[in-house]
Amino acid sequence: MNNVCEEQVFSSIFKANSKTVFNYIYYKFGNEEKAHDAVQEAFVKLWENCSKVVPEKAKSYLYTVANNMYLNVIKAEKVRLKYAAPSLEHSTESPEFLMEEQQYKEKLDNALNDLPENQRTTFLLNRIDGKKYAEIAEMEGVSVKAIEKRMHLALKSLREKIDGI
Amino acid sequence: MQENYLAKWLSGALSEAELAEFKKSEAYASYVKLKEVSETLEAPEFDVDQAFEQLRATRMEEAPKVITLHPFKKFLRVAAAIAILLTGSYFYVNSLDESISTQLADRTEITLPDNSEIILNADSKITYSEKNWDTNRDVKLEGEAFFKVAKGQKFTVSTSQGTVTVLGTQFNVENRDGFFEVTCYEGLVSVSHNGMETKLPAGNSFMVIDGEIKETGKPHNMEPSWVNDESSFERIPLEFVLSELERQFNIKVNTQNVDKNLLFTGTFSNTDLNMALKSISTPSRMNYKLEGDNVLFYAEKTP
Repeated sequence: MNNVCEEQVFSSIFKANSKTVFNYIYYKFGNEEKAHDAVQEAFVKLWENCSKVVPEKAKSYLYTVANNMYLNVIKAEKVRLKYAAPSLEHSTESPEFLMEEQQYKEKLDNALNDLPENQRTTFLLNRIDGKKYAEIAEMEGVSVKAIEKRMHLALKSLREKIDGI
Repeated sequence: MQENYLAKWLSGALSEAELAEFKKSEAYASYVKLKEVSETLEAPEFDVDQAFEQLRATRMEEAPKVITLHPFKKFLRVAAAIAILLTGSYFYVNSLDESISTQLADRTEITLPDNSEIILNADSKITYSEKNWDTNRDVKLEGEAFFKVAKGQKFTVSTSQGTVTVLGTQFNVENRDGFFEVTCYEGLVSVSHNGMETKLPAGNSFMVIDGEIKETGKPHNMEPSWVNDESSFERIPLEFVLSELERQFNIKVNTQNVDKNLLFTGTFSNTDLNMALKSISTPSRMNYKLEGDNVLFYAEKTP
């Protein structure tokens, strides 16, 4: 049967979710070390309770554990993100354009760090990890509508910050 | 425009009419730019395989927590531990040596597994292994004892001052502070003292006082006198006579102006203290005072 206690099932859950658990905690708190710890902690807990957690619930179980681990415990640090290397097309752009791009990215970085933690996490899970609103809602344990609200507010304040409104 | 239209637009959930309206707004270009650039964002590196290996290592350490033991297995473990403890202590207690001792003014007779007999004088102790008796007739002695050894294997009496080895005979061993005496009444006894071996035929004694081997008189009887409730001495320093008196009556002896190196020859009763005190004081020209458990011997006033 499909049981989380089975090595294969557990291993596939790990492969499919560990990176997102890591990112999820990183977007919240901006601390890579804590994010690594959260992955270990969450999966050890899942293994210990493998007989009580059905595979379909494993995902939300992981995020709940990871989230609870740092609830009110650590102070959020600056989230530092990278940008994909510019494609060839972009590299032929004029120095002026490249400079503008660089400035834009700096503004975006600052704006992201100014966002409330839940808006930033929702925005980045969608933009970087390609998570649908429904998936994020499951991870955060809230309704899809709440996630849409966070996303809307995130876009609004990012644009305002960047455009200096 | 509907609620949360920016989120809907990003996920492509806006209707055509709404999208057209949004495109007309001045902020539209900014949102398109934001959408494009945020698509190139990347999270920090995360090595899934490495993290999985780390987790596997942690899980191994914590494995006992995870696997719940069958309760009966747990019970078996405890039972096994108790069984080992019980067997261990059984063998330990069994291998412990038998030990018999006498108090002051006390005497006891012991019959060994091979019917050898030991009479233990006051304030003495013997130790032997009952379990190994058949192969190893070895007795440790502190104090004084008379042995009637049944014929058989070598019989050894170990003391702090020397070892006595016999095959089958009757002999007395006295091992007191500064005093060691072996008297053979029957057969042949071998005494090893300070690495020197002495063969002792029946009717002979071997005596060491304060580390010095002394000539001694031959025994007059077939048994040591103390077996018959008397203590006999032949040219023995007074010091050891008084120590014997203390042991036989459980009293404390003090002296005043008395030379304890004087040699004493005589016998005292082990049952009648007043008789014993007279037996010692008269030939040595001493007086004595008895108060409770204390005896004071003092020199007779010269007339």
